[in-house]
Amino acid sequence: MSIKHQMSIEGNDLRLDFDKEYTQIGKSVPRIDGVEKATGAGKYAGDLKFPNMLYGKILYSPHAHAKILSIDTSEAEKIPGVKAVLTSKDVPDMKYGISPARWDENIFCIDKARYVGDKIAGVACIDEETCYKAMKAIKVEYEVLPTVLDYRHAMDEGMPLVHDNYPRNINTEIHQDFGDVEQAFKDAYHVREDVFTGTRAYQNPIERHSNVCIWKDDKLTIYPSSQSPHYFQYYVAREFGLKMGQVRIVLPLIGGGFGGKLEPSGLEFVGSVLSKVTGRPVMMSYDRLEMFQHNRGRHQGTYRIKTGVDKNGKILGCHTYFLLDGGAYTGLGIATAYYSGALLPLTYEFDNYKFDGYRIATNLPACGAHRGHGAPQPKYAFESHLDNIAKDLGIDPLDIRLINARKPNTTTVNGFGIQSCELTACLDRIAELSDWREKKKKGLPQGRGIGIATGSFVSGAGYPIYRNDWPSASCMIRVNEDGTSATLYSMSADLGQGSSTILCQMAAEAMGYKYENMKIVCGDTETAPLDFGAYASRQTLFSGWAAKRAGEKIKKDILETAAFMMGLPNEDMDLDCVDGVIFSKSRPKVKVTTFEEAAARYFKLKGPLVGTGVYTVHRTGGYHKGAPVGTSPAYSFGVQAAEMEVDEETGKLTCLNFWDVHDCGQVINPTLVKGQIHGALYMGIGESIFEQVQFDDKGKIVNGSMGGYLMPTALDMPSNVINETVESYEPVAPWGVKECGEGSTNPTMGAFRNAIADAVGANVTSLPLNPEHVWRAIQEKKAKDKK
Amino acid sequence: MANVLTDKEGKKRYLVSFTINGDEHQGLVKANTLFVNFIRDELDLTGTKRGCELGDCGSCTVLMEGKPVNACLLLAVEADGHSFTTIEGLATTNKLDLVQEKFIEYGAFQCGYCAPGMILSAKALLNSNPKPTEHEVREAISGNLCRCTGYVNVVKAILAASGQEVEH
Amino acid sequence: MYLPDFEYFAPDSIGEACQLLSQFGAKAKLISGGTDVLVKMKNELLAPEVLVSIKNLEELKKIEYVPGKGVVIGARAKHNDLVYSELLAKRYPSIPGAAKQMAHNQIRNSGTVGGNIVNAVPSADLPPILIALSATVHIVGAKGSRSLALEDVFTGPNTTCLAPDEIITEVIIPDQKMTGSTYMKFGLRAAGALAVAGVAAAVWVENGVMKDARIVMSAVGPTPMRAKKAEDFLKGKKITDELLAEAGKKAAEECKPIDDYRASAEYRRNLVSVFTKRSLRKAIDEGHV
Repeated sequence: MSIKHQMSIEGNDLRLDFDKEYTQIGKSVPRIDGVEKATGAGKYAGDLKFPNMLYGKILYSPHAHAKILSIDTSEAEKIPGVKAVLTSKDVPDMKYGISPARWDENIFCIDKARYVGDKIAGVACIDEETCYKAMKAIKVEYEVLPTVLDYRHAMDEGMPLVHDNYPRNINTEIHQDFGDVEQAFKDAYHVREDVFTGTRAYQNPIERHSNVCIWKDDKLTIYPSSQSPHYFQYYVAREFGLKMGQVRIVLPLIGGGFGGKLEPSGLEFVGSVLSKVTGRPVMMSYDRLEMFQHNRGRHQGTYRIKTGVDKNGKILGCHTYFLLDGGAYTGLGIATAYYSGALLPLTYEFDNYKFDGYRIATNLPACGAHRGHGAPQPKYAFESHLDNIAKDLGIDPLDIRLINARKPNTTTVNGFGIQSCELTACLDRIAELSDWREKKKKGLPQGRGIGIATGSFVSGAGYPIYRNDWPSASCMIRVNEDGTSATLYSMSADLGQGSSTILCQMAAEAMGYKYENMKIVCGDTETAPLDFGAYASRQTLFSGWAAKRAGEKIKKDILETAAFMMGLPNEDMDLDCVDGVIFSKSRPKVKVTTFEEAAARYFKLKGPLVGTGVYTVHRTGGYHKGAPVGTSPAYSFGVQAAEMEVDEETGKLTCLNFWDVHDCGQVINPTLVKGQIHGALYMGIGESIFEQVQFDDKGKIVNGSMGGYLMPTALDMPSNVINETVESYEPVAPWGVKECGEGSTNPTMGAFRNAIADAVGANVTSLPLNPEHVWRAIQEKKAKDKK
Repeated sequence: MANVLTDKEGKKRYLVSFTINGDEHQGLVKANTLFVNFIRDELDLTGTKRGCELGDCGSCTVLMEGKPVNACLLLAVEADGHSFTTIEGLATTNKLDLVQEKFIEYGAFQCGYCAPGMILSAKALLNSNPKPTEHEVREAISGNLCRCTGYVNVVKAILAASGQEVEH
Repeated sequence: MYLPDFEYFAPDSIGEACQLLSQFGAKAKLISGGTDVLVKMKNELLAPEVLVSIKNLEELKKIEYVPGKGVVIGARAKHNDLVYSELLAKRYPSIPGAAKQMAHNQIRNSGTVGGNIVNAVPSADLPPILIALSATVHIVGAKGSRSLALEDVFTGPNTTCLAPDEIITEVIIPDQKMTGSTYMKFGLRAAGALAVAGVAAAVWVENGVMKDARIVMSAVGPTPMRAKKAEDFLKGKKITDELLAEAGKKAAEECKPIDDYRASAEYRRNLVSVFTKRSLRKAIDEGHV
């Protein structure tokens, strides 16, 4: 990686470092956990085993809305092998959640069950089979209540309430108004309004939620599949009235999260109490259906968007009105609701914006933070809407995006500061790669179309989930006594995205060391300093700063020791250490020494060689209600284009070509970045065409399995996927990095929808864009054409 | 048929034996013991993962007589007398299998949960079809769901393991 | 998920298997590949007290040609045995063609032909092509044996006419005059998805005239069903695109689809119309594929 210039804003010391070559970053080193994952040796939570371990399960409500009249556990307790049965009276009744503004969940339902899957009782037994038998033997008497299943009618007069304290079932209501939208509409050459509807999608990581809880004396240790050890530690300690130091969270390998493993799952609370009362380790897990019921996946919504443009297609003002189906509890959903409107002004520049949002409580599984948190479906609606406007005006969809594309060093109408932004370069490059102009000029064969869409996302949230004034990320590096290895201790979480790998690359680069000698202990609250974990695409920038700074401290100590060893002064910063070799920059003939030797010497003279690093986000965002949501030190930008073939008789879709061009700042590990974009594309294709959680009229999921909820197989994915990054450097980030994993989920649905519209001239207005929906849109168009 | 033992309460246990990764194993199992649970719980071969438990996701894939099957839909009693390879059986002490090497080199897994099953499906394919086409690779792994990679690098890694030239 | 307790038997002969089935009656369930039975048990749709496994019955694995009888497929032949059968590739490639569209590789290595039939889900992928090729099944019970046209085996969703003690041992594809056959499945995903609709067509074409046709539809009725009106309509007529499209419309009228979470009945009818037309065309132009 050659970087044109690097500005370090540390301590206001702005240094320029021209054309520096790096040895540890900018390279596709193999992932640090590669061998243990490829050989099956690595342990995920469900693979753990402790002496005397019990298995636990949670009994759930079969009704979407029901009063709990009585629970009789006596028969279950008699079954041989049943060691404990818990109900709400056996556990704390403090409400929890993840966003403190709306803590509304209990470990077990106290008054009533609010969705099929709501937690009623817990069992711990000698094996899983006995757990199922015990759950069957628990007798629960319910009074079934009328349900609220359709979020579009949940606010109607006379509808039952899911929670008494959410009048008209409004969980969150947002009204943000910037500039003067009405005036903008008056000034506009063309004003258009569209309505699109989304769908419920679920993260569906292949690894099921599991954890082992060990509560011994006054210490509670949990091995969870979690995206954030810190938040788990905080919420578990809070719930049980423990000090933070009494709770230890240790992450095993995590089999994917995508947002779904950020919130407490309930398993950790129930497992903890089961462990306390039995005095034994307890393994808890959800089966696949229970995962779907616990959910915390994508909110479905209705997205009404009205936009006014001038005659060139320049956006003058935009008014969005979003109605989101939040499900039975809040979780992270309040943030989702704010994100859904807040992130829309990122990709295009306009001065007038109004956002009205409602998150509605229903008797369905709770929705939360799903890859791209809140942004992808509104973005699908907006990108579809923009294509409709372009069509009205006779403008090429590429051009309307170029005209409006955000420029670097700008501020969004809702107060987000943008430094680096290469959206225009992304648009230009994708036009070249996809041969866009030529295809538009000549036209594609019948049934074939091409579509384009843009996206953007935060590189870490500007504020933590619960209010605190701690730094956003910190870490520690300890160099082994003989200098042959160094361990990075970080409370970050590697869910598969590769954060452990890139943090070690970054640490090694800063230390002047070698990646292959790095080890990492991540996600252990007892050994690693605070980091909020893996969400909001934060770790490369946030945890990366901490790793860089910790590494730089080590390097400073190493160079001082080396100067002493080499008999040279170090005051003029003449020594440097690169790739494990220490040398004099101005005296090339001076004999070099190594990192190893200097580190060993350091230990002999001064004791452990340890470096710590910390990062605190600078103050971001405006002062309006909800202003913190969507703030970030930096934003990624990206464009995707899809070429689709539509079988007009069946609506079947084939994606022939797919392009992604991304501005994710400087790239630490190209293979991992590509992997993130492939994965985002995968989830984007899934959510666009295949995936939809469906319910019967009683609120029960009808397709809560891998065979019912259809994630694409290898045969469903396009063969031709081309992705590139554009040259970009983010000044407030370590080595100029930005996120890429979530931002690249944003454009996909819009690109597909626009390609379909281009192919068959039909306006598909609801997700998923499955064959039947596409076929219906084609039928409607045919009927209209006949008239 | 496996030998049957009956306990005092009349409950039956079945004596089974099979070969896993070249080693002989015996076990006394209940009729409803699934092969996936037996190898994970009794033999600590936890590289074989439990994902969907209904034969849809492929994370419990093992090779039975060299062919990939879902261990979640196989009774331990029905496995009696058969020979299996699990992910633990691919690498030798000092050397990864070529498929494993290529999976790491090409970034063919991220969270890694599907990797054991995916790698075994790939291995079985290459054993029977040393130079598969891209479509054949996709077909062979279409019973292995991966939520992270979009299969892009998985397909590349398998083609590379077959000796075909593939761009990174 | 878990499997409830049951007792397990793996008899060494068909006779013994029928005897056990007869002895335990409704409490017992036959298990072959296990890919349907175990899934139903985990989903609590079935709770047999006894499973009778036919895994030891090697003779049921054959795929062979018997002169005067036809192609004989043992009930325990696995889906992938069909996919890779040289005999079928030579005589009726449409059967491996259908088998390959089922589930995914791992399931095809476990699931068996007999299981796919007696499980009797309306969306099963093998019965349509087998029925289109006029397959019969040989059934052995505790009191004797019988043969039956495959299409008469099915009585409704998940039900067949088999007595509790009866086992399907073989599927027989008789020698025939059909010049082409194929099965086209429409699922919502390229692998590991049930058919939303499927159509198998077998045709006897001579000099551009349809001498005979058999059309069998899956997932659009309680059982795999013949589109008899469409078949009759085609017989003796000169083959044109319009004719095939018309046959598709007739088949769409005959099928009895339901709305479910995968698709609406209306859309399924459309699929039947399209795939009847397309499968006929493919069988006419390309033979047994």
